Amino acid sequence: MRPAWLVIRKDLRAELRRPQAMIAMLFFGFLLLVILDVAVPAGTEIAPETGAGILWVAITFSSVLGLGRSFDREKENHCLEGLLLSPLSPEGLFGAKMAVNCIFMGLAELAILPLFFILYGDAFLRSLPALALVLLLANSGFAATGTLFAAITAGADRNEALLPMLFFPLVMPLIAMAVRATGMIFAGAPLPEYSSWLQVMAAFTLIFTGLGFLVSRHIFRD
Amino acid sequence: MAADDYLEVSGLCKEYGGCRALRDLSFRLGRGDFLTLFGPNGAGKSTLLRIIATLTAPDSGRVRVDGADLEDGSEEFRKRLGFISHHALLYDQMSALENLVFSASLYGVADPWARAEELLAQVDLQLHRHRLAGAFSRGMRQRLSIARALVNDPDLLLLDEPFTGLDRQAALLLGELLLVLKERRRTIIMVTHDLDRGLAMASRVGILAGGRLAFLEPRHRIDAAAFAGLYLATINGETS
Repeated sequence: MRPAWLVIRKDLRAELRRPQAMIAMLFFGFLLLVILDVAVPAGTEIAPETGAGILWVAITFSSVLGLGRSFDREKENHCLEGLLLSPLSPEGLFGAKMAVNCIFMGLAELAILPLFFILYGDAFLRSLPALALVLLLANSGFAATGTLFAAITAGADRNEALLPMLFFPLVMPLIAMAVRATGMIFAGAPLPEYSSWLQVMAAFTLIFTGLGFLVSRHIFRD
Repeated sequence: MAADDYLEVSGLCKEYGGCRALRDLSFRLGRGDFLTLFGPNGAGKSTLLRIIATLTAPDSGRVRVDGADLEDGSEEFRKRLGFISHHALLYDQMSALENLVFSASLYGVADPWARAEELLAQVDLQLHRHRLAGAFSRGMRQRLSIARALVNDPDLLLLDEPFTGLDRQAALLLGELLLVLKERRRTIIMVTHDLDRGLAMASRVGILAGGRLAFLEPRHRIDAAAFAGLYLATINGETS
């Protein structure tokens, strides 16, 4: 546990020192929200389902930027090899990178959400507690799937192109469930109406987290 | 495994896309042995080190260290392993001190700060402890990389052509550190093309050719003057 925590702390410190991933994620998220806002005619009330779609477009595309960078620091000077030579287990490395991705996504969402509420109406703001639950489940699922594929593509020359090609088709069901659940939350539906979506999202997250831990030894070693 | 054996490599085979890198490779080393392995490019030297370091899984065969099997890449074993490769394994955006403290902490060193300071002094970088590794000259990076590999005071040290590309100061420093480790009975396997340096330090000498260990003898049985001829004859015999 301790070596994995050391990797998490190292990555967070590095991002604080040079916030490359966060800046890219925030800039892209903001840009998408502004472009979609410009596309909506002035004075038009946004339907809950449309609002959910806009929010998840911004979150999804900004997240994939962060996921793609999660192994970048380990590539310089073959530092990944250095980690694998240490007592850190491959499972610990996967868990650490997944946690870092989850934290980065959460931080990016903390900045994207206020802009979303400003641009698309503060009526959605009352849904925040329930939305937090959806974000938590979706972040975990994104981080598990994204870390798995970021690790697989880390050794590839053009992994920034390869990662979205592998990641998006697989994570599509999770995005769809998050959009549906968020739409219902924005529409003011009670928890029992969308709880089945949350359960499937939790199952998705568990499956890909488990898969990541199971195959990490094979991914990180020749 | 005999009582005094520290490392036992038996029947190692590894193939990459139809190309056989290692063929039924077996040898044993005692604690404190310094094995220098020579061999042409593609002989399987780096593959052997990567398998022992648990970075690569063999197709068949096994490695035992201190009586324990490394089949699954034991985390406990890696606490006692050091590896100097072609790559620096340093984070450019971290200072020299931070790089060493991070590595020492990963290895569970009791006082990582003290160990990092001790190593910085050994490689003569204590005055540059707070500079980013990315801002170091090539020679300074090489010295920091050597310090990084020794952060856990390893029982088993693997060196993959460690003198290649080193500046004079770093090469002298590495030579001195290796002699100290040899005196302290650390087990060392060094892969090199440098016949003079390799012979000078070794207690055992091997020649790897075509994925096989074509020659393995104690250093005292080898005539240094005739070794270059023996080496060429051995690798030509294996490849012809």
